[in-house]
Amino acid sequence: MKLNQENGGPLLPLLRSLVVADGAGLRNSGRVTATPPADSTKDDLEPLFDYRRVQPLNIVCLDDDCLDTSPVPSPKRRKFANPDVAEVDLDKDVEVIKVVNVEEEDWLAPPPVVSTKAYSKIGEDSTIKELRRRKQELLSFAQSAKSMLQEEEESAKQEPSGSSKLSLDAVAEQPKNPAPERAKIVISIQNKDEIKQFRIYMDDKFEKLFSLYANKAKLDLQSLVFSFDGDKINLAATPASLGMEDDDIIETFCLNLDMLTMK
Amino acid sequence: MSDGIARSRLAEERKAWRKNHPHGFVAKPETRADGSVDLMVWHCVIPGKNGTDWEGGYFPLTLNFSEEYPSKPPKCKFPNGFFHPNVYPSGIVCLSILSERRGWRPSITVKQILVGIQDLLDQPNATDAAQTEGHQLYVSNPNEYRKRVQQQVLQYPQSL
Repeated sequence: MKLNQENGGPLLPLLRSLVVADGAGLRNSGRVTATPPADSTKDDLEPLFDYRRVQPLNIVCLDDDCLDTSPVPSPKRRKFANPDVAEVDLDKDVEVIKVVNVEEEDWLAPPPVVSTKAYSKIGEDSTIKELRRRKQELLSFAQSAKSMLQEEEESAKQEPSGSSKLSLDAVAEQPKNPAPERAKIVISIQNKDEIKQFRIYMDDKFEKLFSLYANKAKLDLQSLVFSFDGDKINLAATPASLGMEDDDIIETFCLNLDMLTMK
Repeated sequence: MSDGIARSRLAEERKAWRKNHPHGFVAKPETRADGSVDLMVWHCVIPGKNGTDWEGGYFPLTLNFSEEYPSKPPKCKFPNGFFHPNVYPSGIVCLSILSERRGWRPSITVKQILVGIQDLLDQPNATDAAQTEGHQLYVSNPNEYRKRVQQQVLQYPQSL
């Protein structure tokens, strides 16, 4: 391929010039070959029929039609006749032309063929290389992913044991402070005027929350009643014991007796 | 299908109620003896509106939902003999929004029902009598009517 390219490169302009010259020669030769027999046919036909000399004498219109018609078939005849004439009269030229045509096909066709083949093969090589590189990259990715997964799996296998150990250790070492693992819940406390939200532990006794609420409201905890779903909440109860969920509402009421005593 | 629709709707109503409801109101599905929940029967409490003769009373109301709910309204029932012009002797509440032929719409929530009944307590409809005693006193003897209402408030104190 490289040889062809190298040879073809410098040769191409010369070949093209030759081809162009040959093409021009062909066209010229074709025209030349086409025209002389036409002239010869005209020369041969005119003396035989003498339409031009006879017709104008008879009818003008018909003469024009005849004149128009007569030249029309003549070119057809020329077209049909030309190759025969050319082949017959100019066998050598035709042969040369044919050779030239073959050469043209060879010359015209090869460069693109060479180029296409060269490009295609080069392209194939480059694409193959690229594909191989990508395959390798993908393989490396896949391998890295596999290794990562294996590592993660191993770590995951190790983690539970470690976490369990940690949790066990935490439970063993800090049984009184399992705070981070305790579930929290958001509870709303609603009085007549407003709703306030509190975040407490599910296993926290309500006493803590209610005393905090009473302090904030500047009320005695004894004067407040807290109810959930119409049932009074025992201070020892927890959100978990009452089956409470996030955003559940606790309602507070001021006891009338305390209101009376306050007055 | 209607069964599923009714129960799923009531489950949503209960979920919404737990997260937000007017102060003093109670509305929870019935808990059977075995601890399971019956979404088709709700036990509610309607507080008398503040600033009215009904203030201080916490009136128990039972909602009975049919399988056609929410296409059909629930039956809302106070205790038997509840004193109110628009409550039948059986305790069934007569209210336009609870009438399938009149004001009921499937989009009406449990909260709207209970608030609507709370409004009805202090604003009875004189043209829609459901019991003779309450209606006659409300129309002819306002003072006696108020006394009866205040007596009934004392009859249904807060259970806390």
